[in-house]
Amino acid sequence: MMAPLYSYGLFGDEFSLVLAFIIGIGFGFFLERAGFGSAKKLAAQFYLTDLAVFKVMFTAIVTAMLGLFYLSWIGWLDLSLVYLTPTFIWPQIAGGILLGFGFVVGGYCPGTSLVAASTGKVDALIYIGGIFAGIFAFGEVFPRITNFFYSGDMGEVTMPALFGLPYGLVVFAVVLMALGGFWGAGAVERIFGAKQAES
Amino acid sequence: METKSPWRPTRNQTLALIAFFLGALAIPGNPYQGSVVELNTQELATIVDTEVDHVTAEELADWIIQGDTEYRLIDLREEAAFAEYHIPTSENVPTSELLDYPLLRNEKIVLYSDGGIHSAQAWMLLRAQRFQGVYILLGGLDSWIEEILFPALPTDATPQQTAEFERVAHVSKFFAGTPRTGVDAQSASAAIPLPTMDPSAAPIVPKRKRKKKKGC
Amino acid sequence: MSSASGVGRAAPYMNPYLAGIGLGLVLLASFVVMGQGLGASGSMTSAVAVMVNAVAPEHAQANEFYVDYLDRGVGHPLKTFLTFEVLGVIVGGFVSGMLAGRVRRTIEKGPRISTRGRLLLAFAGGGLMGIGAKLARGCTSGQALTGGAMLNFGSWAFMMMIFAGAYMLAYFVRRQWR
Repeated sequence: MMAPLYSYGLFGDEFSLVLAFIIGIGFGFFLERAGFGSAKKLAAQFYLTDLAVFKVMFTAIVTAMLGLFYLSWIGWLDLSLVYLTPTFIWPQIAGGILLGFGFVVGGYCPGTSLVAASTGKVDALIYIGGIFAGIFAFGEVFPRITNFFYSGDMGEVTMPALFGLPYGLVVFAVVLMALGGFWGAGAVERIFGAKQAES
Repeated sequence: METKSPWRPTRNQTLALIAFFLGALAIPGNPYQGSVVELNTQELATIVDTEVDHVTAEELADWIIQGDTEYRLIDLREEAAFAEYHIPTSENVPTSELLDYPLLRNEKIVLYSDGGIHSAQAWMLLRAQRFQGVYILLGGLDSWIEEILFPALPTDATPQQTAEFERVAHVSKFFAGTPRTGVDAQSASAAIPLPTMDPSAAPIVPKRKRKKKKGC
Repeated sequence: MSSASGVGRAAPYMNPYLAGIGLGLVLLASFVVMGQGLGASGSMTSAVAVMVNAVAPEHAQANEFYVDYLDRGVGHPLKTFLTFEVLGVIVGGFVSGMLAGRVRRTIEKGPRISTRGRLLLAFAGGGLMGIGAKLARGCTSGQALTGGAMLNFGSWAFMMMIFAGAYMLAYFVRRQWR
């Protein structure tokens, strides 16, 4: 058992910041490779002409999920030490919808806006300014909405635990769902992409 | 006879196949297997014999006064006892909750209970879970009370002992203790009331406790 | 619309599945190395908290939300995993952009909206995103990707809602993009 390396004290807090930077480089690199430095490409997801957002996101999730699963299964990673964000279902649902609004109105999400800004998109810079404003507004309103913020506390709950299914089975189900989604995405793109080309 | 050209999967199809097989292979798996620990009892017994790491009450007092934040002090007792009195900067974690508590494996963790038994048991638990930096407060809370809160200077003290006492008395006052000299030194420290913990004062919780929030 | 952006020497985008695998491996590396996933909005929150604290310290420290972020970090609220990760994201994005010839000062928008309109909407979108991300304790990187890989129930629900919300509103802002 060796991982997470940080939890086993392989390096200290200061060095972890260096590693954070390196990991971030990888993150930003692949986001841009996929074309997510472009609001137009990102927004195209929601007009069904270019479903790269779906493809990239779910490929990444499946890859990391399988990696986590197998590393844990063979005992190289202690999954119980990896941070699982607690679920607060109501604010997460509300937040998700707002995020969706923000995504299609602004054309970015926080991570992609950084990549876009670094490649010269002025609208991304403005977008980031908007995020700061939004966070500030949230902070100011926070004392009045703490009840809602902490509502729906389900603790740290995974889908296998919630549905009472074996973890491996859920992994397989997610893979199937993703593969089905990718196949469907190709079909959707052909239909709507063609429609757009005609118009 | 017709020869069929062999079916060569495209790159995307290859990826899909790999994903499918990895997914199917995962069905019988259990990712939490890795967090089950195998206790090497021989190894642990040897460690106990040679290595149990201790921290004295005086060392601990020093750390607290210096404002050192490089340690986690864990009070293993019941909540009621903790509320009545606890060593400043300690966190109340009953042994049963210890393994769920957010602690890093490379942190310096100092355990104490009233004496030494419960802390020794907790030490064993944490070591078995591969925590590297676990220490026991030598003598437990009893020791803290005797040495730090109510240090006693015997009537026939040598100058060296007196100087030593002065120093400890200084430390003791920091913790609202009562250094005892002369006649008082003879009486049992158990008779002296412990400093009251001000319930309205914010507990000195090490900042790292809140760092647990790693979310976005 | 799925091919190269921009004109001139811009290279075509990487196959989304390959990019996804790359991203997934980076995410996995984060789990293995740090025991936590990726994120972006968290670092921006730290920045906001620091700014508010600089301007109005008593106000900031009386607000549990800011205090939570001021308490993080190695010695300073800005020295957090997420902040340094975000700095890396900026660098990584730039490097990839440079390699592909995609670094250019532009404003991404469709043909039927003015620059001013686009920038206003960008700001508004960011604002919505900021509020949403704080409610949900994360954004697409922190919750959807990270929580998704961990089969976190809340994260999956959140992810579904993002798509739902975006598709709901897409029709109404279509003039911005096409």
